[in-house]
Amino acid sequence: MDELELLKKDWKKQEGSFQQISEKEIYGMLHKGSSSIVKWILIISILEFIVLNGIGFFITDKEIENFQKLHPYLNIIEKFNYLILLGFIYLFYKNYQSICVLDSSKKLIKNIIKTRKIVNYYIYWNVFIGSFFGSFAFYDGFKEGYQKTNTNIEPLSDIGVLIIFIFSMLIVITLIFVFYKLLYGILLNRLNKNFNELKKIDY
Amino acid sequence: MKSESEALFVKELKENQNIIHKICRLYTTDEDSHNDLFQEITIQLWKAFPNFRGDSKFTTWAYRVGLNTAITLYRKKKRTIDTIEFDSSFHKVTQDDYNFEEEEKLKLLYSAISELNDIEKALVFLYLEDKDYTEISETLGISEVNARVKMNRVKGKLKKILNP
Repeated sequence: MDELELLKKDWKKQEGSFQQISEKEIYGMLHKGSSSIVKWILIISILEFIVLNGIGFFITDKEIENFQKLHPYLNIIEKFNYLILLGFIYLFYKNYQSICVLDSSKKLIKNIIKTRKIVNYYIYWNVFIGSFFGSFAFYDGFKEGYQKTNTNIEPLSDIGVLIIFIFSMLIVITLIFVFYKLLYGILLNRLNKNFNELKKIDY
Repeated sequence: MKSESEALFVKELKENQNIIHKICRLYTTDEDSHNDLFQEITIQLWKAFPNFRGDSKFTTWAYRVGLNTAITLYRKKKRTIDTIEFDSSFHKVTQDDYNFEEEEKLKLLYSAISELNDIEKALVFLYLEDKDYTEISETLGISEVNARVKMNRVKGKLKKILNP
């Protein structure tokens, strides 16, 4: 007999060997929480939105006031940033809603990855805008520091400040990048692998 | 209080639970993971139950949700070691139909299947369940022609393991 036919025959025979789950056990399962990857992505994404937007609360009003006085035009960008946040939340929600377990495997994985990507874009945007605001704050801080300390050391030139700033930003961005690679590498590794496998079959 | 739809769902699931058991058998290697995946599939089926319409069979629907959960949504717990061999004590044979050669072949086949990737396992599963290529292609989201090509490759791979 063909090996695969033999396997099929055996596969059908095994039906009786499974320990049957009772109705009571099924009822119990219905009220347990899911531990699916989508749930994890949702929790982590909400935490990211909260953390990124909560940072502002740790900076005192006085600091913000001083900063705004120095750079009034940055206010407009800050308002614009709220619009961006709303846009991202809307996109995230819309994509999250599109995840449906009844879709084909390929479509399901694609929608999950797409939803996750929205949050990634939001993080990239925050890194960008953070560096933008950060550069002003960094510059101010440097100037102020020199005025206060009243040392004999020659103040750094603007280019010197810029180089130090770029260097610190690179470290921060690398750290963020490594953190995300690790976090989502673990979380999305299997999804990406299966999605690539499905894509490979069709091309 | 147990609602009417809850009762209906539990009844359908109880009757068709072997589909889920078979998926769990293919994608997990120990009893705890089997039960974990069974539970996750049950939860996903229940969550999607409001969208289930009587015009398609519960089983058709269970195949799709079950496989999608196994391939996509289920997060393997740390204790699951991918390389553990398929538990061959699973299939019990009665004395009268015992055939040593066949048993050896089956052991090899099950062990070969456990080495396949998630998508290949899904193809083998649908083949063993006698699903046609239209359903296979719709379930996985690949074209019918390519599903056929890939299936033949997987079959070839399994046969090669048996007859090196």
